[in-house]
Amino acid sequence: MKIGDTVNGYRLITRPCNEDAGKSVWAFAERDGTEYFIKRFLEPKRPQAGSGASARSRELRLAECRDFERRHSEVGEALRQRRSDSGSGNLVVPLHFFVAGSTYYKVTEKVVVADADPTSFSAKEKLVLLRTLALSVRVLHGIGIVHGDLKPTNVLIERRPDATAFHPAKLIDFDDSYLTGRPPAPGVVGGDQLFGAPELLRYMREDPGVPAGALTVAGDMFSVGLLAHYYLTRRLPDHDSEFGVPGEAVAAGAALAFDERLPAATRDLLGALTSREPAARPSIDAFLAAMDDARLCELAGSPLPATPAASSRPSGSRLHMPSFEAPPPGRSAAEAVRPPDGAPRRSRLKINLGGGDHP
Amino acid sequence: MNGYDQYRGNLRYAVDIVMCIDATASMGPVLDEVKRSALRFPERLQEDMAQKRKAVSQLRLKVIAFRDFADYADDALQESEFFTMPGEADKFEAFVRGLSPVGGGDVPESGLEALAMAIRAPWERGLDRRRHVIVMFTDAPAHPIGTPEARDAHTYPAGLPRDSDALLEEWGYARSQQALMENSAKRLVLFAPDASPWDGIAEEWNMTILFPSTAGQGLEEFEMGEIINTIANSI
Repeated sequence: MKIGDTVNGYRLITRPCNEDAGKSVWAFAERDGTEYFIKRFLEPKRPQAGSGASARSRELRLAECRDFERRHSEVGEALRQRRSDSGSGNLVVPLHFFVAGSTYYKVTEKVVVADADPTSFSAKEKLVLLRTLALSVRVLHGIGIVHGDLKPTNVLIERRPDATAFHPAKLIDFDDSYLTGRPPAPGVVGGDQLFGAPELLRYMREDPGVPAGALTVAGDMFSVGLLAHYYLTRRLPDHDSEFGVPGEAVAAGAALAFDERLPAATRDLLGALTSREPAARPSIDAFLAAMDDARLCELAGSPLPATPAASSRPSGSRLHMPSFEAPPPGRSAAEAVRPPDGAPRRSRLKINLGGGDHP
Repeated sequence: MNGYDQYRGNLRYAVDIVMCIDATASMGPVLDEVKRSALRFPERLQEDMAQKRKAVSQLRLKVIAFRDFADYADDALQESEFFTMPGEADKFEAFVRGLSPVGGGDVPESGLEALAMAIRAPWERGLDRRRHVIVMFTDAPAHPIGTPEARDAHTYPAGLPRDSDALLEEWGYARSQQALMENSAKRLVLFAPDASPWDGIAEEWNMTILFPSTAGQGLEEFEMGEIINTIANSI
């Protein structure tokens, strides 16, 4: 597909690209005066009549298509049935799923993204962001769906026409979603490794200790923990430089180091969310119950610490991501985060995590 | 420690890229740009993968330059081995710099033979995660694979698929039993005209992206940075 082409009534108005696209190409399109987001899937491909392929080849490829259509219709139908649930309004669900020629396409609404850096939001704005994101995740988990690829590029910060102070998070891209405990095969399962749960990374490596049934909605909760840390501090938690991504570190039993400027209660919550054992992670309901006070989103001190060797920062986001700020000249990172009196910070906020109650 | 080792975690990621480059005369205006792009590619990829926090523990590049068997068989295909970056960067550079835009006669060219050779490359089968990318640079349509005129050429490679359906089977699909490519690893990126056979391949082959160019105008509408970025995005 190319700019100017019309696919099933949708006229492409931007040049298709594969940035952050996984197994697809995407563009914006227009139909009847409304703009949409359109995605062209790279697989499967429906075999066309008249080719010289063998009957066996055609049958195998048609079987792939049937599985693909079933998975998309299961997830799509489940989402549409919960359209009236609290939080479902921020799920950017497929409006149109179709095949044209040999190729599958999906159309969703076009979200007008705010020209705002969510990591620079006030504590109250960050709370709104995290809670609207969590409400969307709760809708998914309530019907047993694992999003499977929670990361900043799949969380759009919507610009509202009334220019209110609060920006809701719109959750997109359910292409890697699956029913809890029923992921695709290790070579097919998707998800960004940077935000991936330890069991997902092990499953991708075909670790015999991780059966398919181990991949549940708790995997999303690990990603929620990393996303929350990123939105609150502009970075992912630190970990031993031996490991490439946080999930690898946790899988190996290494600790994640959370930003010490966060309240202790928040660090406790993030620590629980990024537990190695899925059952030890709070559910999305427990996260919503805990994340109910803007003070949990506040950072002590304004300067940010220097970038350690193994901190992880996502890139390629459609969100604006500012460059990392170093501490003021003459002050070390440790000084920059220490309270003026030099005493260790202690939060008066307390959280009851109530974990382990996943659907 | 080389530039890729620093991101080596428990999950080892191997990237193999085969660049199929049309080296016929019409590509003259842009072949130098394509070559420059190829030479810049390892460094650019290293930067991009580091930003994406993908742990590339092995990067190998291979080049297949093609012209037209039916026009002049002796230089219809020039094929390098896989070069491991950055240790064999000098060999890779020497091969790429040696390509010159000559011959080809009239379009179409022998692009499908180059693609078939790329599919049969000795791809990395080890390490934990693999990405096998074929990138086609051409401004011309291609002959159907295995035309009698091409097969009569004394340099025509033995054992190539006899028709387009056999070629598709070698590319494969998720449940394929004859594929030579590993389905979860493979990507095909075509910088080619929206003409036969490239349009059909983009429509019917999985894991394939076509960025259409204007036939005969040597990919001039593509910014090289865009091409590099597109390839990096496919990894």
